Amino acid sequence: MGKKGITGSRLHKRPDPYDAAARQTNMTKLEAIIQVSKLDAVKDALHDVGVEGMTVFEARGHGRQKGHTEFYRGREYTVDLIPKVKLELVLADDMVEKAVGAITTAARTGKIGDGKIFYTRIDEAIRIRNGDRGDAAL
Amino acid sequence: MNTVATASTDLRDLYAKESASIQEEFALTGDGKTALARRTALVESLLQRLWNDIVSADEAGPKDFALVATGGFGRGWLFPHSDIDLLFLHANEARETACRDTVRRFSQELWDLRLKLSPMTRTLAECEKFDPNNVEFAISLLDCRYLAGDRELFTRLREKTIPRLVARECQKLVQNLGDITRVRHQKFGNTVFHLEPNVKDGPGGLRDHNVSVWLALISAMEKLAMWPDPKTLLPVTSRRAFDDALQFQMSVRCFLHFRHGRHDNTLTWEAQDEAAARKIGVADLEVATAAEWMRVYFGHARAVHRVSLQLLGEIPAAWSSLSRQLNNWRSRVSSPDFSVVDGLVFLQKPDALQDPEMLLRLFHFVAEHGVKLSTTTEYKIEQVLPALAATPPRGAELWLYLQETLVQPHAAEALRAMSALRLLPLLLPELKGIEALVVRDFYHRYTVDEHSFLAIEHLHKLKESKSEVDRRFADLLGELEQPELLYLSLLLHDSGKAVPGDSHVEAGLQLTETCADRLDLDPADRETLRYLVASHLEMSAAMRRDVFDPANVKTFAEKVGAPERLKMLCLMTYADIKAVNPEALTPWKADNLWQLYISAANYLNRSADERVHADDNSAILTHLHSLAPVAGKKINTFLEGLPQRYLRMHSVSDVLAHADMAGQLGKDPVQLSLKQVRHWYELTLLTADRPFLFASVSGALAAWGMNIVKANAFSNAAGVVVDTFYFTDRFRTLELNIPEWERLKQSIASVITGKADVARMLQDRLRSEKGNATKVRISTRIDFDDTCSAHSTLMQVITQDRPGLLYKMCSQISKHGCNIEIALIETEGQMAIDVLYLTANNAKLDPTRQTALSRALHSELESK
Repeated sequence: MGKKGITGSRLHKRPDPYDAAARQTNMTKLEAIIQVSKLDAVKDALHDVGVEGMTVFEARGHGRQKGHTEFYRGREYTVDLIPKVKLELVLADDMVEKAVGAITTAARTGKIGDGKIFYTRIDEAIRIRNGDRGDAAL
Repeated sequence: MNTVATASTDLRDLYAKESASIQEEFALTGDGKTALARRTALVESLLQRLWNDIVSADEAGPKDFALVATGGFGRGWLFPHSDIDLLFLHANEARETACRDTVRRFSQELWDLRLKLSPMTRTLAECEKFDPNNVEFAISLLDCRYLAGDRELFTRLREKTIPRLVARECQKLVQNLGDITRVRHQKFGNTVFHLEPNVKDGPGGLRDHNVSVWLALISAMEKLAMWPDPKTLLPVTSRRAFDDALQFQMSVRCFLHFRHGRHDNTLTWEAQDEAAARKIGVADLEVATAAEWMRVYFGHARAVHRVSLQLLGEIPAAWSSLSRQLNNWRSRVSSPDFSVVDGLVFLQKPDALQDPEMLLRLFHFVAEHGVKLSTTTEYKIEQVLPALAATPPRGAELWLYLQETLVQPHAAEALRAMSALRLLPLLLPELKGIEALVVRDFYHRYTVDEHSFLAIEHLHKLKESKSEVDRRFADLLGELEQPELLYLSLLLHDSGKAVPGDSHVEAGLQLTETCADRLDLDPADRETLRYLVASHLEMSAAMRRDVFDPANVKTFAEKVGAPERLKMLCLMTYADIKAVNPEALTPWKADNLWQLYISAANYLNRSADERVHADDNSAILTHLHSLAPVAGKKINTFLEGLPQRYLRMHSVSDVLAHADMAGQLGKDPVQLSLKQVRHWYELTLLTADRPFLFASVSGALAAWGMNIVKANAFSNAAGVVVDTFYFTDRFRTLELNIPEWERLKQSIASVITGKADVARMLQDRLRSEKGNATKVRISTRIDFDDTCSAHSTLMQVITQDRPGLLYKMCSQISKHGCNIEIALIETEGQMAIDVLYLTANNAKLDPTRQTALSRALHSELESK
């Protein structure tokens, strides 16, 4: 290794998702997979923290949660992929923590199967009605 | 050039000024017909001026080239944002080539005037050719109208070319028109009753009006070989309603175009509010709300839809060979009262409808065969309705016909026909409020009555469905004891939406009570109906919780209480969701619904062992005591220790009857009652419990050739059993020989008291029936569960159903020293599903006994 080594300015740091200056945009998409029975509670909790726009999908899946088998009249009905609900929200970065807190608190039971939340960065958002872009479109 | 440029500016100004004037006048008057006439005249005058400027100063020139209005413009119906259908007609190809530049300039000027053109260029010879890929062009010629140019050329088109085309291609024209219309109707769910209908393309809309006229015109032209008088196209009896509908819909579509500022024909909720406020099309009527205004809309749309469907069905040339075959088949279903011709029902005796019973039979016929009423029959019905309104049918006789109609495969079609003719609200005024009722929510797509008809239709369609998921629900439907109650509950379940207030369920319950009174339902049926209407949202609500959580399943199952109710509620939920909109019942939801059903069904089977205590403060016990206050102690003694399931499975009147029978045991130790109930016979036995009892009675019934489809066995704390067997009489012994009823009872009593040898009786019977092949092989499966009951071991047996099965099974159970505390016996096709709560020496079965019993049963049930 030479004397110069690698200077700090050339170090590649993992970008901090909450550091708006380090990112190109300041919008984040949350995908939350939760139990069906928690949907109403999560919607109310998000509304309480000021989040009103979301998209809801019917989903199926499992992580460590096992499937379910029920016998009815001699036939076996096995459900490997448990019904879940997936929410997608695109938020300004300053709302993300609040939204995550709201979802987590409302959806948590402490048991396997509670679900997960994923973050993605959003490059751009446009409101179809009037062409607003960026944060203004949210 | 400058002259033309100046002319364009003048025309643009003229067009803008006149268009504004037309819009202002419409805003004041709401008169669509006048607005269309003015707009048509305006565009015509613009075209003629441009023709003079660009094509020929002589309006009748040049030779061999004419400008023709087609489609809506040809009809004189130019809506504010409709395209302008123009045909540039040439005598021959040479002329067409020569005029190409002229046509291009002409069209360009029109585009510059911001007129939305839909131009076509054809020679006369091309107009006579039928292009199956462009039927719309041939149809548009039916509305052709001279605008400018060679009038003689136009006359040849109208008087020679078009009649020749129609004469030659009549069948194809009508067939294609029918196909296009059917596809369009299918796109809108074949119903007029959308919450936000499309006034042009929706069923019963303006397009259906056009289709009706075209079909009638083609048929008349084919017969006459010339243009008929337009006034004679439609039957006199439908002309008035048709014309009124046209006036109304013209005004509505004008209103929508002006309101939206573009070619948008959807009556959104906001548009409905405004149309009602401005009284569009209803200046002479008392219409206060958007819902009332929409009722007027649906009334007109229904009239147009009816005529269009009749014309589609009645014109012989419209039939494909397949539909000819179908209609020929339908003609074979004629009866002494009704004849079916070309798929339409006619009365054999036109005055027969004076008898209300004939009217009810007519709709039963429609529901059974899926045929439509002919116009003649409909008019006959309309004529008798006023007299019927004075003394409408009611009571048990009405219910008899209604229930038989509701269970037929085409019940929904019959109900729609009854509704269209105003017969349904006359028979069941409880449904009057939801007739064509628009209730706004983001999920429902149809009016409330149409939603109910669709729900019934979806259940009937289950039988034909090939989907695996649907097959499960279809099997459930096949198991129902009283499907007619389910259908009636679907008809009534949203009736409360017509009543202002927060809860349509509560309001619906009151209407249900009135309906139950009107139909004179017996108490048990009334209670079931009431339950279904009151609880129709329960299962949907339960699905929003975790359907795999045992606690949720338990809560839901205990609310439902009985397997038969659970089946009905499950099917009701299936149908209710599916009828909201075509996408509402997703596979995800259907799976969840099924999961909840089977979990709850299993829970109910496993919780049958909870016992009644006579000092319980339950509503049903209080009710029982109130009905028979003198027999209070007798009832308490009888009920003490019986499973809760017993109370859920038997009506109050049955329980009182059983308690009475129990009171007679001192005089006669074997109490039997035998009655015929709907599809089967019901034998109830009360006697002191003893070993082999259930097996003996099962064997006796099998020896008589009876097929036990269902059975329940319960015992109380005093050791009295209440066993009920539901069976079908395979050889019609009881049906054809009344004395045999008493003989059967005596035979069973002899078996119970040991005076007759049931094994021998059964052996003789089975020997005589040897060799009957089974269609479906069912493997035997036996499961034990020690956890669901505190006192007993639950055993579930799934096996091939066969004569004498219950006797063989219960004999083995008794041979192994087990007592049957509760038996829940059902059959599903060739599958027997038996759930038994067993004890041995008043305790649960130990593992050794379970294994021995299982082995013995397998051996018995799997032997040939």
